[in-house]
Amino acid sequence: MKTILRTENVVKNFSGLVAVRDLSFEMAERNIHALIGPNGSGKTTTINMITGAFPVTSGRIFYGDTEISGMPTYQIARLGIGRTFQNLKLFHSMTVMENLMVGGHQMMPAGIFRFLVDPAKSRQEEKQVEEKAKQVLDFIGMYDLKDEKVSSLPYGRQKMTELGRALMMDPKLLFLDEPAAGLNPSERVEFVNIMLKTFDLGIDLFLIEHNMDVVMNICSRITVLNFGAKIAEGTPDEIKNNEEVIKAYLGNRYQAEKA
Amino acid sequence: MKKVKIALMALVLVLLIAFPLFDSNLYHQQLMNQVFVNIIVVMGLNFITGLTGQMNLGTAGIFALGAYGSALMCTKLGTPVWLGFPIAIVIGFLIGRGLGYPSLRVKGVYLSLTTIGFSEVVRLILTNAIDFTGGSQGVQNIPFLNLFGFEFNTPFKIYYLYFALTIIMAIAAARIVSSKWGRVFKAIRDNSDAVEACGIDVANLKILAFTMAAVYGCIGGFLYTHMMGYINPTAFNQDLSVNYLVMMMIGGIGSVAGNVLGAVMVTLLPEILRFMQNYYWLIFSIITLIFAVFLPYGIVSLFKKSERQERHFDIFHSIKKAREIWGGRIAK
Repeated sequence: MKTILRTENVVKNFSGLVAVRDLSFEMAERNIHALIGPNGSGKTTTINMITGAFPVTSGRIFYGDTEISGMPTYQIARLGIGRTFQNLKLFHSMTVMENLMVGGHQMMPAGIFRFLVDPAKSRQEEKQVEEKAKQVLDFIGMYDLKDEKVSSLPYGRQKMTELGRALMMDPKLLFLDEPAAGLNPSERVEFVNIMLKTFDLGIDLFLIEHNMDVVMNICSRITVLNFGAKIAEGTPDEIKNNEEVIKAYLGNRYQAEKA
Repeated sequence: MKKVKIALMALVLVLLIAFPLFDSNLYHQQLMNQVFVNIIVVMGLNFITGLTGQMNLGTAGIFALGAYGSALMCTKLGTPVWLGFPIAIVIGFLIGRGLGYPSLRVKGVYLSLTTIGFSEVVRLILTNAIDFTGGSQGVQNIPFLNLFGFEFNTPFKIYYLYFALTIIMAIAAARIVSSKWGRVFKAIRDNSDAVEACGIDVANLKILAFTMAAVYGCIGGFLYTHMMGYINPTAFNQDLSVNYLVMMMIGGIGSVAGNVLGAVMVTLLPEILRFMQNYYWLIFSIITLIFAVFLPYGIVSLFKKSERQERHFDIFHSIKKAREIWGGRIAK
């Protein structure tokens, strides 16, 4: 199996506070990989370092064979790494369609001068992105809502919009930061279905999630963090029965319920 | 709705074309020319401050460089006047890159700070480099614009030239605002982290928006210079920068139509209020304040369907609610 993502001894200090210490893990291709752990264990910090939002304090991160630690966020994104955010980061003054079209901005290479002197070319580009956005909207089941302002949508739809925006740039690897948080059970089922559909498109998923039903059912590998350090890694079954994980995160009751 | 809009715009166009034919007052015509200049500058400011949300407080400095650049070229070097136009574009480009590159690659208020500084530095240089700029005496006898031997030497002639230029630049601005550029600028204002995560180089786009603002500002300065025939540095102080911001906010942030309305209102209203003599500026400020409080989305929001509907919806909703409550009580 080829590795798509690899971190080597990654450390993140926030002026003395160690958020992530010496984290090394590998993610194989064609995988849904989850990162779990208690609150404040450094999960989001890890994703932020991988996607370039925070610089690493030390250590190296590789995407395929390319070292991406130290690259600016937008360049990492251009390599094919998409993401959604834990607290939604949408463009709230715009419609769903416009949000998605910003996601497809990179599909439109014409510069500003070309744009001003060649209206036909810019119209054609715009049409292409619009087509693409419509396909994605169909995919996430939000075509009917395309002209709604995102700020007027319920939380679940907003999350879906964010996923759609990330899909607009055809990522190869998609980071989802707590995709199921704040969703009601039926929305959660829908979101999981869309995630699985996304995976079937050939996009590898890396998620942070607290909902164990979601994690245990769809993920093939799980990495567990506690106080910024990796305490376990393995298949869902291995993790479920790992003493240390139960102690730090899952709790005895979880095991009792499952047994 | 669309037909009404087109008809309305055609009517305004006809009125504006006919205006100097019916009103031969030179002062009125000159005021209208000033309005055109202001519209161009505000449309530029709209790119960086209105859409991208980066506070630019250096419009006066940009405007001054555009104005002085052309004025000094004409009077000291004797170059043809039209050359000032491409020169203004080049100056704008250099300001945009030169000032935008260091101040826009980092997040935060650096653009506000550097642009205030820039604007003051420009004003002080213009005031103190007496041999070169004429100091506080300013530059005199700046020639009028001429094209193919036709000299634009009266407010009447200037009016039509500037009117045409304003329309061209407004069309360009409106196209940019409604294109992928406008969209991504607004996205940066809403959430720049998310834009970055979409693989877009935010810093580069901010610099682009600022460069366009500077180019528009410098063209405005160029037009101003050849309309006035005389410039001095005292006009280009911080008040001017703030004035342009006020125009943008009163008219409606982010929309070209709003910029036009704002520039018209803020330029003409004080003149209309002149009859109040000592109190005119006070009254003008109060009116501005009222607009800011009651029309936070600018004059243009009066004409926008969606925002008006939302507001009406609220009013109707509260009336209905009140009726239910009070109706219920009366019935009891």
